[in-house]
Amino acid sequence: MVMTSSRKPDVFAAISHRGRRQMLDLLNQDESSVSVIAAHFDMCRPAVSQHLRVLRDAGLVTERRYGRERRYRLVPEQLSPVRDWLAPYERFWDDHLQRLQNHLSRGGKK
Amino acid sequence: MSQSIRKEILIPQPREQVWQAITTRAALAEWMYPNDFEARVGHRFTFQVPPNPKVGFEGLMVRCEVLECQPPTRLAFSWSVGGPVVNTRVSFRLETEGKGTRLHFEHSGFDLSQPHSEQAIHGARFGWAKMLEQLQVLVTGPGTDLD
Repeated sequence: MVMTSSRKPDVFAAISHRGRRQMLDLLNQDESSVSVIAAHFDMCRPAVSQHLRVLRDAGLVTERRYGRERRYRLVPEQLSPVRDWLAPYERFWDDHLQRLQNHLSRGGKK
Repeated sequence: MSQSIRKEILIPQPREQVWQAITTRAALAEWMYPNDFEARVGHRFTFQVPPNPKVGFEGLMVRCEVLECQPPTRLAFSWSVGGPVVNTRVSFRLETEGKGTRLHFEHSGFDLSQPHSEQAIHGARFGWAKMLEQLQVLVTGPGTDLD
């Protein structure tokens, strides 16, 4: 069964699972139904639904009903805490790759 | 997904020259940090990020291991500092483009899966932000020659 947590749903926890990250990648391309998503995974449909629920609770996807079908859509803005978390590293590498280019433009010599 | 950092840059120098710059100690010391790198899969090495008392930075050691080395196209090494940044992967792929080189850079494998409370995440985030802010000062401070 799903563990119900007293903690606030957390984006980091939601994307800590590899399958869920792959689901987000899929949904990044297009809105999809559970069955379309499930076709990409080696797990039963209820398990897929459960993972989608975790993503929904974290606000990473929204769910809409079309008749008997539920479709999921990515909410990319919700990933911003992850981007923020990586931002310092992003700047770190921007700087260092710039230094690499400076080093090369000096002919590789000081 | 957004758990990795990707950069792509076009460098005017030929691929062999770029390869030298990313696989020799002296060059790495210049644009990265002092190190004991060797271009050999399985070689373990460190980058020593020097302390800078002016900004209250105590220095840092990055532990690495060469994972892939195919001259002059592919280099990858692990990058471990601690916390969620253990066994992350830094990779370089070089492609000849005209007279220059296209460099594909990626830093991936940040571990967000450790069971951590929100505090721990925010703590790590703060710690990193602080450390990197200090690195930023080191990088852009006087004595360097950013264009």
